[in-house]
Amino acid sequence: MDTLLTAEIVANSPRFRRKSSTFVDAIHDLPEKADLAPAQLYSTESGRLFHSGRIVIITVGLPARGKTHISVALARYLRWLGVKTRIFHLGDYRRATIPFGEDMPDDYFYVNASASSVLLRQKIVRKCREDIYHFLNHENGQIAIYDAVNPLAAGRRSLAKEFAKHDIETLFIESWCDDERIIEENVRRVKISSPDYVGWSWEDAVKHYLTRISSRIPQFQTMEEKDLNYIKMINAGERLIVNNCSFGYLSHRIVFYLTNLHIKSRHTYFARAGVSQEATYKSDSSLSEQGEEYATKMTECLLRHRETEKQEMLDRGEQKYELKPLTVWTSTRRRTIETAKYLHESGYKVRQRSQMSQLNPGVCESMSEGRIRLEYPEEVAKHDLDPYHHRYPRAESYHDLAVRLEPIILELEREQNDLLIIAHESVLRVLYGYLMACNAADIPFLEFPRDEIIEIIPESYQNEARRIHIPGLPKEIIPGSPQDLKIPVPPSGVTTPMAGGLGSPQEGLATPQNGLRTPREPERITQQHVEDVV
Amino acid sequence: MVGLPARGKSLIAGKAMRYLAWVGIPARVFNVGRYRRHNTPQPSAKFFEPHNEEGEKMRRAAAEAAVSDMLAWFREDQGVVAILDATNSTRERRRWIYESCEKENVETLFVESTCDDEEVIMNNILEVKTTSPDYKGQDPEMAALDFRTRIRNYEQVYETIDENEKHYTYVKLINVGSTVIINQIKDYLSSRLVYYIQNLHIKPRSIWLSRHGESEYNLVGKIGGDSSISERGEAYAKVLPELMRKSGYPPNTKIVIWTSTLKRTIQTARHLAGTPGFGKLEWKALDELDSGVCDGLTYKDIADQYPEDFAARDEDKYNYRYRGGESYRDVVIRLEPIIMELERSENVIIVTHQAVLRCIYAYFLNTPQEQSPWMEVPLHTLIKLTPRAYGTEEQRFKADIPAVSTWRGKGTSAHHQEFPADQK
Repeated sequence: MDTLLTAEIVANSPRFRRKSSTFVDAIHDLPEKADLAPAQLYSTESGRLFHSGRIVIITVGLPARGKTHISVALARYLRWLGVKTRIFHLGDYRRATIPFGEDMPDDYFYVNASASSVLLRQKIVRKCREDIYHFLNHENGQIAIYDAVNPLAAGRRSLAKEFAKHDIETLFIESWCDDERIIEENVRRVKISSPDYVGWSWEDAVKHYLTRISSRIPQFQTMEEKDLNYIKMINAGERLIVNNCSFGYLSHRIVFYLTNLHIKSRHTYFARAGVSQEATYKSDSSLSEQGEEYATKMTECLLRHRETEKQEMLDRGEQKYELKPLTVWTSTRRRTIETAKYLHESGYKVRQRSQMSQLNPGVCESMSEGRIRLEYPEEVAKHDLDPYHHRYPRAESYHDLAVRLEPIILELEREQNDLLIIAHESVLRVLYGYLMACNAADIPFLEFPRDEIIEIIPESYQNEARRIHIPGLPKEIIPGSPQDLKIPVPPSGVTTPMAGGLGSPQEGLATPQNGLRTPREPERITQQHVEDVV
Repeated sequence: MVGLPARGKSLIAGKAMRYLAWVGIPARVFNVGRYRRHNTPQPSAKFFEPHNEEGEKMRRAAAEAAVSDMLAWFREDQGVVAILDATNSTRERRRWIYESCEKENVETLFVESTCDDEEVIMNNILEVKTTSPDYKGQDPEMAALDFRTRIRNYEQVYETIDENEKHYTYVKLINVGSTVIINQIKDYLSSRLVYYIQNLHIKPRSIWLSRHGESEYNLVGKIGGDSSISERGEAYAKVLPELMRKSGYPPNTKIVIWTSTLKRTIQTARHLAGTPGFGKLEWKALDELDSGVCDGLTYKDIADQYPEDFAARDEDKYNYRYRGGESYRDVVIRLEPIIMELERSENVIIVTHQAVLRCIYAYFLNTPQEQSPWMEVPLHTLIKLTPRAYGTEEQRFKADIPAVSTWRGKGTSAHHQEFPADQK
């Protein structure tokens, strides 16, 4: 109720801008500062990249085909690359325009709708389109993602023409499914959690929802318009048809990303590696006794948690609910591999990824903060100014790490199983930064204490992070890397947090100030696009 | 590869191989034509008639030999990506390839290029008849005629990849990428390859490379920095438009100049940018290799102040990363978007810096990683690269303007020196 009221107020304010809660995915926020994005390779004066012009990406597809999921995922990736991108969900506008509690007119999507429905439709679309123009013309936006059904060829052609008049290129992305299982899973996952279906069985709710869609949107034409730029994604990426996409690097990059994307939901867990015998980068030593103990407790905790989740789903009435298989990724560093040992022995698939090795600490390896300050005062000063991009002598910056992790990001999207990533805190920071759309400047300060496993649950509208407490760990191994220490990578073993926060990050950013501080019971924004409750 | 002759298959195969090698993935092309030429060096179109049993037998044998060598390469030499370059024009042939690979646990990705644009096909025919070993030393007109007959013979039996093969991983490029169908991509590397292939085109074009004109830092032997060009550098900038003309480019084409964001490249391209028909872009990614703490030092300073680094760099120049700076490997990674954009573009002249130019050059000429950082790229010289179906053609045009040498040999003292004449 509250979120709905907020949405209405915001939508009716001069410039509709969604602000998500501080503790969830920031993909719908737009950073206030003109910061470089995590993996941005170059910057331009206009703030637009790839020497491309302005582009509107327009989704096409019936409800429950994963359009919103695709829009959000794509925005996440483009923003990560430094392309100024924003999503405009037409459903948000519809919801904000149609008073709460009132249903939308039955003929809303009809070709021969009544005059009042046509007017309503126009009003909603106009508002959304005005915001798109504003974003592209006055906020240096480069890509606007227009998330709507767009069922008819004629409508799509006139959209393209309309945008072309403003010198804006269009790219349509259609999600088309003939695999009933994919559609049903989508409906289950994102559509019928709405209050309309409280007390319904899953099967009845799915059936009811699909019938309503087909009576609401009786006509849908799949894209065949050879004169338009489009990407047709068939059955969640099984096949992609790319037509006439001619605006360069960016459109190919989008196709590249989409070939790795799928709509299925899976959880990602992040865990630190255990403490090692020798806490230096170069030694690459084995786990200490405490590290072994951590590995056991972490494994037990994770498996217990997954069982609980399964039980919850069963209790909710999903009778045949099965957990997705769990795959483990570690780096090629000994500590992370050994932390995965128990999982490996229990038959879980463990893959080693060389790109996931921790940030190279360079010359600062195993130096105390005092010594670094003494020996490299200028570097420390530079680091203070830009901890994300600064590189200590012979070290890697977080930016280097983000660029190095790009293949991992794409494979992360590709992975179908649940995934546990065991890595150094620096790697977890960057990967978390991608999944939760953090500001680059905040990434070096994210905290991952060792007694918590982070679980990221993808929702089509935004990702959600939860923390799972690992009980019974000795206190001294819990603290994460001391977040305020001005060294690129703190020793990886036992560390004491530094007193007195040197250079804490600025306040008021989309990402929480002291790294992620997700509440145990995360506040969930229930998404009910109007199209979802047709 | 799948496709009729003259659809740019060899071009795609060769490029994909170079790209993979450039990013550090062992790759190799197995060209069935080469195996076939072993016994029939210059066959006429008759050889390719569908009912020529003798021809069919020999072509089959060539394919078998190529596939068997390819699988041996995977088994014994830790190959990662092999490209089987042949027409593979029938469903049956593709099934045989798929099954042979499956037996050895090798994933297959079919790349089909189809084209019904006569102009593109004719261009390719012209290209092939002048460069293919099949027609070496023959009358070009006769060669073109014969080649067209050969294509007709293939057309009779050609089966495009369709619904019957939807369980395969494939990518189908229709009319040079105006439509692309990507089917069942199962792993990241394939998706990356498909991404790369999509950026390719087969229109004729050239790429010109030049370093900036001699800079003030060059004069005093310092590396890095953001200095202006010297008087002689300015003289080079002035003759660059003339040098471009001399190197030859088709009239009425648009040529885009790419520079870095550093003064010396922008100044060097200044006069050229003022010439009609030229456009200009500045790229941060084309900036010189960042030499970190050594920025603004001479090689002698570096040898004095950082003797270990100086030696370490000679030891493995490709992977050596300057303190607080970059390695050649780092530069290659940051140049990847440039390479992608370059593949998409047509005529481009790049005015950039020594290390960056070496990396770009290495991509086009497939120079191994151990050699590329030591390559000589003299100042005041324009390099013209023209992609051909069977490799990249290189021409160099020297402006007659003296400049200091900025080249230093491996393991030598800390001075710039002349590149030894016998290695040129």
